[in-house]
Formats: sequence, structure tokens, C-alpha cells
Amino acid sequence: MAVPTDTEVRLQLYRDFIESGRPPSISRVAGLMGAPLEAVRAAFERLAAGKAIVLQPTSREVLMANPLSAVPSPFLVRTGGRAFFGSCVWDGLGIIAMLQAGGTLETSCSCCGEAMSIDVRDGEPQPVEGVIHFAIPARRWWENIVFT
Amino acid sequence: MLLFRGEEHIDRWCSQWDQPRGAILTIEQAWRLAEAWYGSKMTQDWRRASLEETESLLEGLGLRGPFWRLRP
Repeated sequence: MAVPTDTEVRLQLYRDFIESGRPPSISRVAGLMGAPLEAVRAAFERLAAGKAIVLQPTSREVLMANPLSAVPSPFLVRTGGRAFFGSCVWDGLGIIAMLQAGGTLETSCSCCGEAMSIDVRDGEPQPVEGVIHFAIPARRWWENIVFT
Repeated sequence: MLLFRGEEHIDRWCSQWDQPRGAILTIEQAWRLAEAWYGSKMTQDWRRASLEETESLLEGLGLRGPFWRLRP
């Protein structure tokens, strides 16, 4: 079995996540690539160390293939007949930007809970009421990326 | 990064959770940031931007001032 590069692992992870609508496990990525499990596990760790992805603390499976979230969140994106979760409103918009297909981010006001959505069509967000709050200064985003 | 119906909702949320007011972006600004940050994530050539590149990206989007500074 050939050992894939980290870039090959990253692309396989993202492609399968997008195509299947589910976060692939380390073993699934290894199987799809015909690569040794331990080599893919090590690649996940290096990708996480390089802040390309975020791993779950115990299982070391993917938590965030940013902007995609592997776990449910209040930021649901519908695009191209599929649905994904983003970790925050920025990542929700990031999913639409990454897939370049248009889509809708469905969420709610973080203060009062009123339902809100943002449509992106032809590469532009459609006018809608709403503002986005960044609580953590930029230089501290990666101190705790899950909280950020 | 959270979405709110308006600035008064942000103030209420900050007060409720005892958080300082951070930075406020329009949806348009956040979209531009998302495009710049994630637009190439699924390409072969993607790599994490350097500190200097990230500073330049934020500056180019008009995100200036202490909140957006990346160096201590």
C-alpha cells in the first residue's frame, strides 16, 4: 500500500464528506485511498497540527473539516440538494463559498431565537436583516477553536 | 461568530453572558471573509495562509484595528 501525501488525504476527506454528506472516519478514508490506516491517522494528526482540520479530543476522528462540522450545530447549510453543518455563521457561509454552488444558511438569532436565514445566489448574499458578532479577537481564535 | 437580528440583540446577548462587545460585521462583510478564507479549501494548492497573508486579507476587507490584529 502506498502512503498518501497529506494533501491527498485532505482532498479525499473533503471530497467524501461533500459527496456522502457525512464526515468520513479515518478507516473510511484509508479504505477509499487503499492506504494504510496508521498512515492516514498520522496524516489527520499532521493536518490538525497545521490547523487545516480539527480532531475530536478522544477518538481523534474529524470534528471540523473547516468550514464543515462533523457534529450537528445551529448552523445548517442547504446546497445542491445536500445539507451540512457549519461550526458558526462564518463557517456556514464558508461552506457555500467553498462549494461555489449557492445555498441557504438556516440558523436563528443567538439572542432571541427568532429563525433567520441567509440566501446566497450567484455569488452574492441576498439582502436580509442581520449582523454578525465576533466575540473573540482574531489573535485568540485558535486558543480554543471550539469555543471560537 | 454568531448571527443576530440587530445590534440591540448583540448588546443584550453580551450583557446576558457577561461578554465584552467584540466586532460587528455586516452579512456582506462576513460573506467576503468566508469567500477569502474558504474559497480554495478544496483545491490541490490550498495551504494555510501565513500571518502576513492573513493580515493582508483582513486589511483588504477593511477589518482593521486592535480586534483584528494578529500579533500581541
